[in-house]
Amino acid sequence: MLQFKLVLLGDSSVGKSSIVHRFVKDSFDEYRESTIGAAFLSQTIKLSEQYDEQVLKFEIWDTAGQERYKSLAPMYYRNANAALVVYDVTEPGSLPKAKLWVDELKEKVSDDKLIICLVGNKLDLAAEKESSSLVDESEAREFAKDNNLLFHQVSAKTGENVIKVFEEIGEILYLQNKDKIQESKKPAGSNVSLQRPSTNDSQSCCV
Amino acid sequence: MDSNEDNERNASPEAVLEKPPAEEGENSDEKNNYYDFRSFLNIMRNPKTEPIVKYTKSFIRNFVSQKSNWSTTEQEKLITDFKLFIYDKLVTNDAFKDLDAAQIRNAKEGIEKLVMGKLYDKCFSPCLQEYKQNIDATHKQDLVDDVKLRDKILEFKFLGPEHLDILPGLINCKLNSFIQLSAKELAKINQYKSPRDKMVCVLNSCKVLFALLRHNKTLNGGADHFVPLLIFTLLKSDVRHLISNVRYIERFRFPSFLMGENAYYLSTLQGAINFILDIDRDSISILESDEEFEKNYTENQEKVKELRNQDLRSFKNPSSIASPHQTISPSPSEFILKPLDDAASSVLSRLNDFWTSSASPTPSSLESDERSPRDHQEIDETTATALAQQMEHMEHENTLQTLQSMFPDLDPELIQDVCIASKYRVGVCVDSLLEMLD
Repeated sequence: MLQFKLVLLGDSSVGKSSIVHRFVKDSFDEYRESTIGAAFLSQTIKLSEQYDEQVLKFEIWDTAGQERYKSLAPMYYRNANAALVVYDVTEPGSLPKAKLWVDELKEKVSDDKLIICLVGNKLDLAAEKESSSLVDESEAREFAKDNNLLFHQVSAKTGENVIKVFEEIGEILYLQNKDKIQESKKPAGSNVSLQRPSTNDSQSCCV
Repeated sequence: MDSNEDNERNASPEAVLEKPPAEEGENSDEKNNYYDFRSFLNIMRNPKTEPIVKYTKSFIRNFVSQKSNWSTTEQEKLITDFKLFIYDKLVTNDAFKDLDAAQIRNAKEGIEKLVMGKLYDKCFSPCLQEYKQNIDATHKQDLVDDVKLRDKILEFKFLGPEHLDILPGLINCKLNSFIQLSAKELAKINQYKSPRDKMVCVLNSCKVLFALLRHNKTLNGGADHFVPLLIFTLLKSDVRHLISNVRYIERFRFPSFLMGENAYYLSTLQGAINFILDIDRDSISILESDEEFEKNYTENQEKVKELRNQDLRSFKNPSSIASPHQTISPSPSEFILKPLDDAASSVLSRLNDFWTSSASPTPSSLESDERSPRDHQEIDETTATALAQQMEHMEHENTLQTLQSMFPDLDPELIQDVCIASKYRVGVCVDSLLEMLD
């Protein structure tokens, strides 16, 4: 089974955990493995034909969004394959914070393969509000483009676009690792983990 | 884990190394996770396992007889390399090769437990200190950090849930009993020698916190709600050598067993520890007036001073370094050095049996089994079993009482039934009882 680590970043009120709960619920399939814990979730998805119907598993690491717990984040994003940086489309103050997360990732994570997706959540609430009180979509889109990020606006509440986010990330991960995947298909063994060992790094704890 | 998955893994024995880690998790739970150390030991009695036994013994002998101690990094590398080597041998060994993937994984777990049980005194920093062995800088640092953490916890023990951004909805009478139970589960980490068993203590402690979140229908809150609870738990806990334990798991748990959910909760625990080590006035929210906080802080400092004095006195007498909160019968410091594995089963005596009965005489350092190396007096199997059973019973009573206080609305007999059915595994028990409440 291909496994990838995905980390969730964003302020505490932007609903980042709800996005993942929606994703796990909507792609639920009794034949596929999933884990729903308080802060760690995993879900398996199957890509489209175009991507050889590859099955892969996301291990989703949630982080605490409160300002005071910001310092814990490096513990989570080390060795990540992908990061969702979430803001709230109805809360203009949340985009600058998301930008800070992106900057931090760019600065601290040396892996240039890390996939970062900027996600605007609470799209369902946007319709009810004056457009002047919303985050400027074009600003977010431009920031994503300038920084080479994926960009989506979603609603965890209605489920709009949520699965798309994960599928797109899955497809890129598939392309990134295509060679290794095909290599592993030759012999009988198919259980390949591309996740780098994450915790046996002696520098990692409490230094 | 459903059987499909297992069949798939059968295709390639090595695939087991990459087995997804969710096994001990919330969903594909301990309930379904096959782990049976005794059955592994039984297989090891099969004469066909001789090469495995020989390699393992010789590895342990060489490791232990090294005059100057290995450095921590060397230990880590030697042990991981040995596991890679022996796991490779295992899957082609006649006694193991026809087992299914789950049993092979169990055998690998068994080897890790066996080896780390034997090498614990050389690898777990507090043991090195206790036996006055030469300690390398890294092990020494563990001990320094253990003390630092303990001091910080003492300094900020008085903080309330409101200081840590714990969801206001969670602050009710249930909070404390769940936090206490979670802290108690975590404290069990010192009762076990194997990295897996220590890891299970961390997971169980977290599981009690999930239960609290689920109880309050706030599971969707994710890490925003979970992390503050874990930090609060640490502040209310009294787990000796927590940092040494966490680093021991990191170093000596086989890397591919330490992934997914296990890795997540271990990282979160490290994050929580780091947060406490760095705690200061700016990192906590002070809701009360400054004077109130100041008063509480000063009062607490007085208590800390008193405790420190006690500490100093007991430091001169190492056999009483234990915290006053330990409740288990043998003197606590003794306990930490000869932890009983897996709910104090009689395994320890069988282990001894396994090492002595099979083939050639071994150096005396190997004979000294799970018990304190300073105590060469043999305890016979019956005594060991009785002791183990007695401790297990006490532990069960303890769990039962805590669960009854957590769930006062449920019939005590019902709680007992659930405990028996779940073999007193706290995580599973709490899950089942919560379902009943819902």
